[in-house]
Order: sequence, then structure tokens, then C-alpha cells
Amino acid sequence: MANLRTYTLIYILLVALATGKFVFFEFNFAYATAIGGTIVLAVTKILLIAGYYQHLIEEPRAISYMMATAVFMVFLLVIAAGYSIQ
Amino acid sequence: MSDLPPMTSVKRWLVTTNHKDVGILYITTALFFLLLGGAMALLFRVQLWEPGGLGILEPVQFNQAVSTHGLLMVFWFLSPIASGFANYLVPLQIGAKDLAFPRLNALSYWFYLFSGILFVLSFFQGQTYAGGWTLYAPLNVPMYTPAMDATAGNNAAILALTLFVMSITIGSVNFLTTIHRSRAEGLGLWNMPMFTWSWLLTAWMMLFAFAALLAALLLLSIDRLFLTEYFMTDQGSSLLWAHLFWFFGHPEVYIVFFPALGIMFETFQTFTGRRLVGRKWVIIAMVLVAVQSFLVWMHHMFLTTINLEIKTLYMATTIGISLPFDLMVFSLIYTMVKGRVRFTTPFLFSLGALVLFILGGITGVFLGAVVLDYEFRGTYWVVAHFHYVMVSGVTALVAGLYYWWPKITGKMYSEALGKLNFAVYFIGFNMLYFPMFLAWETPRRVFHYGESAQIYHQIATVGAFVLGLSFLIMFFTFAKSWISGPKAPDNPWEYSRTAEWAIPSPPPLENWDGRPSYASGRLEFVDDSPAATDGGVAHGQGNTAEASVEHEAEHADHASIWPFGIGVGTFVFFLGLSGLTPFVANFAEGTAEPPEGLVGFETQPDIMYPVLIALGMAIMGITLFQFGREKFDAPVMNIAERWPFGGIGNTKFGIWVFLASDVIVFGAAIGAYIFMRLHMGWMDWEFDPITMAGLVNTYILLTSSFTVIIALVMAERKNKSGLLGAMSATVLLALAFMGVKAFEYTQKMGDGHYWWYSIEYSIYYVTTGLHALHVILGVLVALFMIYRIISIDAYLEDHRPVEFFGLYWHFVDIVWVLLFPLFYLM
Repeated sequence: MANLRTYTLIYILLVALATGKFVFFEFNFAYATAIGGTIVLAVTKILLIAGYYQHLIEEPRAISYMMATAVFMVFLLVIAAGYSIQ
Repeated sequence: MSDLPPMTSVKRWLVTTNHKDVGILYITTALFFLLLGGAMALLFRVQLWEPGGLGILEPVQFNQAVSTHGLLMVFWFLSPIASGFANYLVPLQIGAKDLAFPRLNALSYWFYLFSGILFVLSFFQGQTYAGGWTLYAPLNVPMYTPAMDATAGNNAAILALTLFVMSITIGSVNFLTTIHRSRAEGLGLWNMPMFTWSWLLTAWMMLFAFAALLAALLLLSIDRLFLTEYFMTDQGSSLLWAHLFWFFGHPEVYIVFFPALGIMFETFQTFTGRRLVGRKWVIIAMVLVAVQSFLVWMHHMFLTTINLEIKTLYMATTIGISLPFDLMVFSLIYTMVKGRVRFTTPFLFSLGALVLFILGGITGVFLGAVVLDYEFRGTYWVVAHFHYVMVSGVTALVAGLYYWWPKITGKMYSEALGKLNFAVYFIGFNMLYFPMFLAWETPRRVFHYGESAQIYHQIATVGAFVLGLSFLIMFFTFAKSWISGPKAPDNPWEYSRTAEWAIPSPPPLENWDGRPSYASGRLEFVDDSPAATDGGVAHGQGNTAEASVEHEAEHADHASIWPFGIGVGTFVFFLGLSGLTPFVANFAEGTAEPPEGLVGFETQPDIMYPVLIALGMAIMGITLFQFGREKFDAPVMNIAERWPFGGIGNTKFGIWVFLASDVIVFGAAIGAYIFMRLHMGWMDWEFDPITMAGLVNTYILLTSSFTVIIALVMAERKNKSGLLGAMSATVLLALAFMGVKAFEYTQKMGDGHYWWYSIEYSIYYVTTGLHALHVILGVLVALFMIYRIISIDAYLEDHRPVEFFGLYWHFVDIVWVLLFPLFYLM
């Protein structure tokens, strides 16, 4: 388990990243850039929360693989379904 | 409650959590639904006696009979009877004392039973569902099909299916935890019995596939109860449903068939006296099928407007999935060739299943080819093909009934009657389904067909009654055995090798006297009592305290009434929900922006339904609270094989597995948003978000994640007031989140933007609402934990429940990380 200091630093980072997403869309970034940047920030936030708050980095790797499989399933469904109507 | 009444007592069956009892409950309940589904089939087969129908059913009654036959057989018979076998046998085959979470196992059963009762009740609430078992949009909503009026009965059928899927999800989590973490010492995955292997892969497929169906059913239920528009738009809805349904639906074929395949492997080995030829390759082939099953779903959509490139790709993947099956079929055939076959009843049924499956498989390859599918889709070719596949599975399941009957009941059956049963079954089956290939031009779900096909339909109808008769023979055979059959030995089959045959028939409550172990290469029962170990150290991958196994056995609980109570409460709640639509419709009509062109929502409000909702919630509240308070010691295996999930406790692993399933549920809901927006044109999406509300809620939820992690730190430090403060702060932040959400929704509705206003608003309300529902559930759990901290100083000695709650809460936070940009920024 990480200590309180690490948890606090991650919290501050998460708040900053959330604000970053807002900034992308409130200031004059191109729409595609804003989407791309937001995706990067969102993925970073998710990895931080899962890795450190849910302690995924301390669990057996198989748990991460299982969750990655679930996420892959979603991507598979959404991307294939989205492509099917292009 | 730990005392388990005798089996002759009704109370025993209401309180039991023992895996063998639950298995028996599953099997008997599934057989009841087999009879009900079969009765539906006989009804519409009689109607099909002549073109245009014999007149015993009205058109909409015919549709109801066809639809409910499919739903009952696929959902309430096929999967649950396999689940019954798995409940009874998997713990025995892997050397466990019970499933990892016995009370959840009982809850799975009660959800299953009550979902079935709700489905049966739907016949008596106006009319039941009549849109086909695939529930295609827009047939599944009333907008374009007034006959599908949003009656309580129609809604109840959908809600029953939703409750059933909840049962499956809980069961999947339980079995995955059990098989991965409770295997006897020395029992590596490669050496697991084939039935357990088939069930392990089934459980993995169920976990992911049924989650997609759960998402689809939630959206459909909300459409029907609250007038949202997921499946009511004139563009995209039918494709959305087809994608969600078949993402579940194709793996479902293997979910249904794999346990049957496992039974075939077991019985072939036993009755040929030979180990399965190419056993390792068969396991690899099954794993391949389980993976590939998620890569073929669009072959069910060749007649839709999806593009030709994706159709071609899915044609290739579909042909590809037949290859591992070829390997399995050849393995079975070669096992027969190499062994000495004994034609007992279970073997005959298994052999019959193999023959029928080969026919079903070959005729299915036709449908995997785009061009041929254009011709065959929606005809009796499809009906014949999938019955040859699915009911060949039933054939193997009947083999399983005969194979394990002596073990479960302790009685032998009459082989002569069993063989008669098989003969009548096999003749009836082929009389029923083979003529359908010849009458292939008949359209599905319609009782009008060309006169040239009449003779085939008449043969099929006679076949249906012959097949029905075979089941009566089966029930008679079992009843006769139960009443006057000779006592069964521990192992009535000469060459059976799995662990269930090494113990008495029927097995004792605790399964084993000693601890099963395969450490020496064969099954042994180890005495772990301190006197017997002579100070030696037990080896294994256990990661918890080395408590005495005997000590656990003395204190293992097998009874709890609360799963039954939760089942009752949920049933009453769902029954109440089924009649909610008229109230919502009245509310909608009274708003400044009533829905336009609302069709099929004319049912009159009935006050009984809101009362049932309130009653159901009250029962759920009380029973869940008692469930949480109850002290229940499940049997624990300190020494077990756990690869690849060692180094993590059962409960934590179970929560992670559940979260993996929830990823799919939310992913499918979010995917529905992305799909509909892509379909409409990404920039044509007309939705006006209150961005600041989303941002504020993001900060609130992130902060609540922080307070939850502080709660964990405080629990680890045994700081009660700190723990209490952090948990209370979490609840307050969650309430603040809900407050902002309420403000946001109120603003939207003030502008006339209700959830029925457009597909954009439907998706916004439902997706964020689904997330809010998770927040509310989290708050309820947090309040319960606060109560426990105050009342019994909970979590100071064992902080794990705080960590488990955190896993859930952080997951809810992660979902919001995605919802915020999707609904408030983009």
C-alpha cells in the first residue's frame, strides 16, 4: 500500500488532469486536438486511479490482464460496430 | 444461521447454500422450464399443421408461443441446467468443499427462479412478449408495432430476462473465483477434468457476453418503462440492438454448448475406457473457440446495412471458428476408435449428440457465407440448423442426467428404459428437425407457408410429440429409479476417473473426510489434523493463515435465509416496475414538452404496481441489511492451487471479476452513445451540456476517491475516528455529487429537454443516470459500513472490506472520467 503522501500527490495530479480536459475545450484548440489531448489525459487519469488507488500495480499481473481483456472487449465492440456503418 | 435442516424439510431448500443442494434446485427448476418451453413448442407445432394455421392460436398468440418457447429454452432451461451440473459437480471435481461464495450461489439460484416466475406471470399481465427470442429492434418497442403495446406483461418478460442475467453474472463471478482459487493441491489447470474445463470457459464467456446483454436489456427496459428512445428512432436503433444482442448472442451458442461438450468428453472417456485422444489439443481448441466466439457476431447481421468489408471479414472469422470444433469432433471419434465402447444410456445420448452436432455444424457453415446467408436468413434452414446445434447440446445434457443420476440420488436406473428413452428421443428429434431443412423456404415465426412444404411440417409436428414422449419416458425412468431403483455404488462406471466417483453416492454434506490432494500424481485424502501431520509443514500455494482444516470444517456454514429474502424482494420490485409505464406516460403527457407520436402506451395505470415497487424496495432493504450483518463462514481452502490468481484473496478477486463484467456493461452503454452519434454524424449531435456542472462533479468525485483512500489508511492505522470521518466525508461528497446532478437535470427539464425529447437526451439521461445509480448503491454500502464502524468498531482489525469498497468506488470514479468529456466537452 502506498502512503498518504503518495495518495495526496496523485489526487492533486488527478485534479490537474481533469482541469486540463476542460482547458482543451474551453480555449481555442482545434476540435481534433482537443479530443486527442482529452483522450490522453483521461487514459492517464484512469491508469493513475486503477494503478495507485485500486492498487492494481501491487496485485498479480493476471488481474491487470483480466481488466485489460474487458477493456479490449469494449473497444472491439465499439470499433467494429462503428466501422460497420462507415 | 448454520443449522441445515434435513432434505425432507421444505425449510432446508429455502435456506441451503450448499453447492449440491443448489445444484439439485437448478436442475429440477430447469427441467420444469423445459416442460413449459416444450408445451409452447407443441402448441405452435399444432398450429403449423396446415398452411395458414390450424386455428388453435390467434396470430399474436402464435407469436407469443414462438417467442416464449425460444426465450424459455435458451435462457431458463439450457444454461441453468448446465449451471445445475456445474454447481453439483465442479466443486467435487476440483476437490473443493463448496463454491467460494455459498450465499451468493444461493442468491444466483433465487434470482433465476424468481426471474422464471416473473416470466410466467407475464402471460397473465395483458400479454407476454411476442417479438421473437432475439428481441430485435424496433419490434421490441411499441412505436412501430402497436401489437407490442407496453403492457405490464411485455415489460415483465424483459425485466425477467434482466433479472436472469443478474443471476448469471453473480454465478459467473462465483465459479471463476472457485475454479481459479479452490483447486485441490496438485490439480493444475491442464489436469482439470474436462467438464470443469468446459465450465471454466463457459463462465469466462458468460462474464463478458452476458454483461453486453445486461446493458442492452437495461436500455430496452428504460425505453419501455421511461419512454427513452434507444430503440425507437428511425435511424440506427435496429443496428444498435443487433450489435449489442449478437455480441452476446453468438458466444451464447457456445455458452450453451460447452457444458454439453464437457459431458460428452467425460462420458466418452468413461464408456470407451480411454483417455480423450489429444486431450491437451482439445483444451486448446476450446480456449480458441471461447476467444473466437467474440469475433463472429456480425455474421448474424449479413442482411442489415453493415458494409461489405466487415461482412467479408466476419465470413472469414466464422469459417475460422469451425476449425477448432473439427479437432474436437475428430478427437471424440478417435477416442471411440481407440477404446472399447460400452453402449450405456449416457454414452448413447452422448454419441447421439455428436452425430446431431456434426449435422448442425455443417449446415451452419452455409450460413457463415454471405451469399448463401442472403438466401437462407430468416427461413427454416436457420431454425433447423440451430436446433440441430442447440438440441444436440440438450442430448448431451440428458446424457449428463443419466451419467450422474446414480451419484446425485444414490439410486441406479433401468438401462432398458434408458435405452428406450434414447431410441424414442433420437427418432423424435430427427422427425422434428430434419424435415425443416427440406421445408427451408418456410419463413421463420410465420404460420403461412407453401403447400408443397405441408408434408414436412406435418412430419415435424408428429416428431415434436414423439420427442415430447421421450421426455415423459425419461421422467418415468428417473421416478421409477427414485422409488424402487437399486442402491448405487460409489462408482457404478468402471472407468470413470474424476473425483466425484471416489466418494459415496450421494456425497456427504462436507464432500470429503480428509483434504483432497493430487500432489502425489493421483487423488489422495490427506489428514491435516495436528496429530496426523506429525509436525510436518503442508505444502501448497495458500496465502492465508495456516489454520487447521478440521477447525474450518467444524465451523463452515451451509444455511442462510437471506438470499431467498433478497430474491423475494427483488422479484416484487421487478414485478412492480413492469407496471410503471402508464404512470410515466401520464407524467410525460402533462409536461410542457410531451413526447410526439407516442404509440403503444395506452395501458391504464394500476396503483398496485407502485405499491409493489415500494414493498420490494423495503424487503430488499431489510434482507440486504441482514445479509450484510449475518456472520457466515464459508469453507476456506488454505492449501489450494490458484494459478494464475494466487496472491490475492477470494473476495478481492471476486470483486475484480465483477468489475471486469461492469466494464462491459458501462462500455456497452457508452458504446451505444458513440455508435448512435457516429450513425447520426458526429458533429450533427445536438446536445447542450452544462459544462460547469460536469466539471464541478468531476472535482467532487475525485475528492471522494481521495477520501475513500484516506479511509483505508485510517483503517490500517486502526484510527476509528479517522475512518469514520473519511467514510462520512465520502458519503457527503456523493450526496453533493447527486445534488449537482439534480440541479443539472432540473435545468434541462426546465428547458423542456426531457429524456424523451430526442435520442441525444435519452442517451445523456440514461448513461449519466446509470452512473448515478452506481453512486447511490455505493452510498448505501458506505452508510452500512459507517453503521458497522459505529456499532461494532468494524474494519479496525480487518481493513479489507474498506479496500473492497474502495475498488468499487474508484471504478465509479473511472467511469466518470470518461463520461465527463463525452457528455460535457465533446
